[in-house]
Amino acid sequence: MTGVRFSGVSKRFGAVAALDSLDLAIEAGEFVSLLGPSGSGKSTTLNLLAGLIDADAGEIRIGERVVNDLPPDQRDLAMVFQNYALYPHMTVFENVAFPLRARGRSAAEAEIEARVKRVAGMLGVTELLARYPRELSGGQQQRVALGRAMVREPKVFLLDEPLSNLDARLRIRMRRDIKALHEQIRSTIVYVTHDQAEAMTLSTRIAVFDKGRLQQFDAPEAIYNRPANVFVANFVGEREIALLAGRVERDGADARFHGAGYALLLTGAGARLAPAAGRAATIGVRAEAVAVSADGPGAPATVAMTELSGPDRIVYARIAGGPEIACRAEPRSTFASGQDVRLRFDPERLHAFDPGTTLSLIP
Amino acid sequence: MSWRARSLLRRAVNAAIMLGIVATALFPILWGLSTSLKPTERILEYPPLLVPDQPTLAHYRMLWETGIGRPILNSAIVSAATVALCLVLGSLAGYALARFAFRGKQGVMLAIVAVMSIPLPSVLVPTFTFLVNLDLNDSLIGLVLLYTAYQLPITVWILYGYFRTVPEQIEQAAMIDGYGRLAVLRKIVLPLSGPGLVAAGLFVLTFAWNDFVVAVVMSSSESVRTLPVAIYHYLGFFGRDWGPLTAAAMVSIVPVIGVFVVFQRYFLSGMTGGSVKG
Repeated sequence: MTGVRFSGVSKRFGAVAALDSLDLAIEAGEFVSLLGPSGSGKSTTLNLLAGLIDADAGEIRIGERVVNDLPPDQRDLAMVFQNYALYPHMTVFENVAFPLRARGRSAAEAEIEARVKRVAGMLGVTELLARYPRELSGGQQQRVALGRAMVREPKVFLLDEPLSNLDARLRIRMRRDIKALHEQIRSTIVYVTHDQAEAMTLSTRIAVFDKGRLQQFDAPEAIYNRPANVFVANFVGEREIALLAGRVERDGADARFHGAGYALLLTGAGARLAPAAGRAATIGVRAEAVAVSADGPGAPATVAMTELSGPDRIVYARIAGGPEIACRAEPRSTFASGQDVRLRFDPERLHAFDPGTTLSLIP
Repeated sequence: MSWRARSLLRRAVNAAIMLGIVATALFPILWGLSTSLKPTERILEYPPLLVPDQPTLAHYRMLWETGIGRPILNSAIVSAATVALCLVLGSLAGYALARFAFRGKQGVMLAIVAVMSIPLPSVLVPTFTFLVNLDLNDSLIGLVLLYTAYQLPITVWILYGYFRTVPEQIEQAAMIDGYGRLAVLRKIVLPLSGPGLVAAGLFVLTFAWNDFVVAVVMSSSESVRTLPVAIYHYLGFFGRDWGPLTAAAMVSIVPVIGVFVVFQRYFLSGMTGGSVKG
């Protein structure tokens, strides 16, 4: 098994810095997701690793080997492309066997057949071996592409948004299968995605990219619970995080937040928000950090809209004199638009950021 | 007039125009075919018959007896060698232009288009002296090299256009699967470029098979005569002997028509360059 290391790697396309001085060390056997919106540099990172594009600066290592000047065929990787890139003029069997027939590693025909059959069995495509790619459904093509990558037992797997062309249900099932696959083969996997839920469920660590820069590289829990900056906090999570600009004052065990034209008492948040106290700060509030109730203690607000998201009901409530924020409520609860409600904030789930640098103030 | 009648009328007019074009294009060929099947004494009779009432293969037999086999063989060798050479060189060049960014690429592309627009007769004399210097005049090899030189630009251009329609990710996948550039070209790009190869190959084939001017200038001995030159010599040899002349012309037309009929499907999709892929 082999790790991957980027040291100071940069890549420009014309005037655009696609990747700016990336340092990233992926341990052997890890499942690392590169997460970010389009144009963030995640695909550039993957293509640099695959050798499909050349780095302008820096060093890329696979294991102990510096691979900057190695062509893709000598890097001993396997890759699954977003559109699968199956060879249309070959049958499924020939597609999966193709990597085994490359020069310098050509195995005996009997062994090729045995390995292709084993992989096909693992992925449940044994009956499809004689078909051509155009005769397969999207999910089947996906499996064949995975099989073609697996058959060589490579040290490092690269997956470039492999699930984004599948429908929602199939995507979740394939997610499970990929995770099971990783647990079985234990290869190093680098997985590019723009879907934060995919990254969360699959990865041992997530590298979040924006504008060609690595924003944070950490375990999923840490990315979710301790986002390094506003971008990460906003990109990760089911829906957008509410960002409230103002000042935080500590009040013993509690904290007070003064926004433009409104104030919030954040019960029990004194200790957590202490690093942000006495200064201008942006408070980040996810829907799951706010409990909404018809009465009782809490900040007064008015319901603007509600939506049922399956397991939860999401209530959009306008804080008296302030902005609208999303809150999570019991699915069986009923709130009518215009109803007065109370909001209570879970102190452990509040985030505070520097308004200038956007970096997190909470260590 | 109702829309139904109007549409019917338009289709009838269209059909009539197309029939006219087809008839104009095919008439000389059919007339030649008919003449080649008539006994000599009835060829010039008046009124002429389009369908001969006493068809005979006498003229074809005569062609065979006077040794048309050698020119046919020469033409076949020259055409096949030219097509093969053009496709091999054209694939490499077209692929390089389609996939690599290199200094001077724009210049090369411009040169390819520019070279295509040079009229062939204007370079005949210089090429002849050039071939003489190389001692390649009056030889089939010389003809093959010249034909390749003339046809390579269009071959490169067609293949360049077609290769660009092959999704690059498929090639990247093959490279990651352990194949170098040349292996990718051979195992992935060429098998997926059948229509482009057919289109380019047919272009080259029709040129090499039909060429008269270059062949008649560059060769003099009978042993290297190609079919079009041989036909010309029949004209000289037999005076106005229309029977063998048209029969020889028919013999030279048939292979090209056959190849086109076999490959016409690919030819069309190759010419549209994958713009309507699917």
